[in-house]
Amino acid sequence: MKKLLLALAALTAFGFASAQTLTVWVWDINKPALESTIDSFQEMHPGVEVVVEDLGNQNVYDRGLAGCAAGGFDMPDVYLVENNEAEVFWAQFPDCFTDLTTLGGEELLPLFPDFKWSELTAGDAIYAVPFDSGPTAMFYRRDLYEQAGVDATAIETWDDYIAAGVAINETFDGNVKVGMMGKGSDDEWFRMLANQAGCFYFDQAATEVTVNQPGCVQAMETMKDVWDSGAIRAGGWVEQIQSFQNDELASAFFGSWYTGTIQAEAPDQAGQWGVYLTPAFEEGGVRASNLGGSALAIPASSDNPELAYDFVVNALADEDNQLNILNNYGLTPSLLSLGNAPELSEGVDYWGGQAIWEDILGTLGDVPAVSGTRYFQEARNVMIVVVNDYLDGNYDSAQAALDDAASQIAASTGLPVAD
Amino acid sequence: MSSQAHASPPTTRRRRSTGRRLAPYFFVAPFFLLFAIFWVYPIAYSFVLSFINTRQRPWTFDWDFNWGRLIQDDFFWNALGNTMIILAVQVPLMLALATLLAVAFNSELLKLKGFYRFAFFAPLVLGAVPYSAVFRLVFNEQYGVLNYALESIGLGAVPWLYESTPALITIMIAMTWRWTGYNAVILLSGLQSIPLALYEAARIDGAGPFQQFFKITIPMLRPVLLFTFVLSTIGTLQLFTEPWLITTTGPGNATETLVTYLYKQGFRSFNFGYASAIAYTVALIAVIFSLLQIRLVGGREVER
Amino acid sequence: MRRDRLIRSIVLHALLTPLALLFLAPIVWMIVAATLPNNEILAAPPTLTPGNALPQNWADLNDDLNFIRAVTNSVAISAIFTSVGVLIAAMSGYAFAKFRFAGRALLFTVVIGALTIPFEVRAIPQYLLVARDLGLSNTWWAIILPWLAYPLGVFFMRQNMLSIQTELLEAARIDGASEGRIFVQIVLPIMRPALAAVALVMFLFQWNDYFWPLLILTDKDAYTIPVALGTLVGLTRVSWGGIMVGTAIATIPFLLLFLWLQRFFIAGITAGAVKD
Repeated sequence: MKKLLLALAALTAFGFASAQTLTVWVWDINKPALESTIDSFQEMHPGVEVVVEDLGNQNVYDRGLAGCAAGGFDMPDVYLVENNEAEVFWAQFPDCFTDLTTLGGEELLPLFPDFKWSELTAGDAIYAVPFDSGPTAMFYRRDLYEQAGVDATAIETWDDYIAAGVAINETFDGNVKVGMMGKGSDDEWFRMLANQAGCFYFDQAATEVTVNQPGCVQAMETMKDVWDSGAIRAGGWVEQIQSFQNDELASAFFGSWYTGTIQAEAPDQAGQWGVYLTPAFEEGGVRASNLGGSALAIPASSDNPELAYDFVVNALADEDNQLNILNNYGLTPSLLSLGNAPELSEGVDYWGGQAIWEDILGTLGDVPAVSGTRYFQEARNVMIVVVNDYLDGNYDSAQAALDDAASQIAASTGLPVAD
Repeated sequence: MSSQAHASPPTTRRRRSTGRRLAPYFFVAPFFLLFAIFWVYPIAYSFVLSFINTRQRPWTFDWDFNWGRLIQDDFFWNALGNTMIILAVQVPLMLALATLLAVAFNSELLKLKGFYRFAFFAPLVLGAVPYSAVFRLVFNEQYGVLNYALESIGLGAVPWLYESTPALITIMIAMTWRWTGYNAVILLSGLQSIPLALYEAARIDGAGPFQQFFKITIPMLRPVLLFTFVLSTIGTLQLFTEPWLITTTGPGNATETLVTYLYKQGFRSFNFGYASAIAYTVALIAVIFSLLQIRLVGGREVER
Repeated sequence: MRRDRLIRSIVLHALLTPLALLFLAPIVWMIVAATLPNNEILAAPPTLTPGNALPQNWADLNDDLNFIRAVTNSVAISAIFTSVGVLIAAMSGYAFAKFRFAGRALLFTVVIGALTIPFEVRAIPQYLLVARDLGLSNTWWAIILPWLAYPLGVFFMRQNMLSIQTELLEAARIDGASEGRIFVQIVLPIMRPALAAVALVMFLFQWNDYFWPLLILTDKDAYTIPVALGTLVGLTRVSWGGIMVGTAIATIPFLLLFLWLQRFFIAGITAGAVKD
């Protein structure tokens, strides 16, 4: 009878994983990056299969939450989560993920910087291990900038960036743009610029809404200047890739992980890309911010938490694997011991021989720290709309737009607006 | 019936009538068993959830936590507004087009009916996901076929997916494309039940085609038109896939609908209580519209 | 008079033909795009003639998921759902049309009322029920069960069963046939056209359903076609060619079926329309 039941279970629950398979849910470039660590993992655990699945960024989040809400069913063994989206999991579903201290996770604490841990721990519990960081930079096409007579190394401020955009616009009759903004579909530009100005949706402790503070106002005003110059185009993730593949985008503004996407999606443009630092608000201003960065967690429903833990540690805390991931997939390691690795100062062929990691990682120390908080998604939903309306000219000023956003976020989170 | 019953021996009759008395319950049992589990229970539970504060653990009863928020939530009102705009603009236009199509199909002047029927009804068999994917490409600002066509006839490119009004229009065009044929079929069946004698009589009285259309066709079609109106209303109230996949509810929340907002609240912010309150609002509006229809058409169909 | 008719006919065709082509255009373009490489699908000016990237697109489609698996799931789920669902609907429809029993009016009103309840009202508790309490996520049954009670099917079957002659049933009863046997051997056979119409509608509904499967399916191997395609649209490396191949595969069989069985489709669509 029991056999019959098992057979039935196997029949109906297809996708039923065998005991010796680890399933990993990720998105985008993380898939090949983590796959590159499988060989070294299998040296420790021969015969254990690892399946890394790319579900798309939003899908991983949506399904993770859905799975937790359903009581932890149908979760993978290893789960990739964005740092600033992570806290809702520990807050809403504290039993959904394995507390890594039960597997010896304390040993990892000294290996990564403290600010990376703040979103991944709750009380004494450790819920995830830091993977990459997302220091922002401007990734640009050397050939297109050159044709427009723009010297990328001379771009220091957002005004310079706008001037470059106008020059590129003129040279290419508006067919090539200096950048793309997910206007109306995401608020990434706002988060990058706000972070650069030391502002975020909430304060560090997530007790107040701070989105209408001066730093955020500055970010909004700068975005409006950039948008109104007509030098950039609206478009989401997919459109941006399409545009640079078609030689219609001269630069992209994102976290350092985007280098991997560019390399993977435009292998034939090798040597034509370069990097310059995030433009400052004014000369001599901060040229650093952070977007994204993620971590690996182990759902409590995993049948093999020890194996999953070994996989995570091998992928994230092993210097060789992390260096390899950086070199081949452009994901910026959080591992402290890599800070002085000589490999980081070498020129990268794809990027025209530029030592891009030295340049990008050099900004990490300047990144203002923020904490995503469990209300990240609610605030983001509000900001996507407010940013879009503000760019469309539906608000009198950036301050008015952000005051409105603040009251909306306060209403949907129950947090007060900071004075 | 009574004479036949007389012919049977009493014992058989009793047995048979018992079987007959129980038979209908046996026949409806599977449906209502499933109905109880997958309809009644969720609908009731959802109602309870709408009075529970699900933001913090543990969940607590708080009768106006969600409903109170609903009333003040600009995003909810925006979603409701978008849904109502589509209802007020797209549904009448689509039904007008569908009526004209149905009249054309009903006309003996039309040749090649098979081709036309296929052309207008084919969108029906396309799933919402496939056609949303196609429309997303067709309406792409830079590379889309539509903007290419507009530019080649001298009109400018339209930022279909990146500006509020064009995005809403995109959704409406997509819905019209998909559902006009469907409604035309229903209206055609209504047209075909209009007695031809009415038209004969009108023609003898000297009524032209337009007069016939407005004096006979439209009034006779009224019940069916109302039926299609209610169907489209319920469909529009439940609109999800098109804004979710074609415009990703953007730009901003320009194409947010009640159900996409519900999805975000329920499955992205994990606010089940609030999502349930939104769901009940959708249901409430649907029921009001349906009651209106029953009022207007009368209950005769149900109790025929 | 005749000339007048001819002119009107020409005007009618002149108006209708461009509109018909406009309605067909997205479908034609979908099929063309399925054969184009990615950079030609999104290119200015767009390519409007078929290319030869079909094999590559098919490969792309299967790169991130097993599309054949999705097709298998969709076919199996839709087929099981339709055959069981139609039977359940026919049984209830028969009872409502041909029996008088206590509670009939009330129950039928409930069925009609259910037609107006948006699915979303059920979605959250049903999700908790199916995923958490029944533990059915990623199974065929998770998709099939919640919709097996399909009110529109009951309504349509009842409308059609009204036309069954009561004498026919009475005659069978006199011959000693049981109620179950009468249903199987008499009612179902004469209802074949109506059953076919409901079956088509239910099959198509299940084949295209997106919202519920999107919630309940997390495992790639369990995806139905719409969920698989929807996932691809949201994926990081979008292969539009692959998606177009998938949409074509999901659509073309139905276009052919539609050409063949138009009558039943139309009967199914007009199911709820007032017929008196």
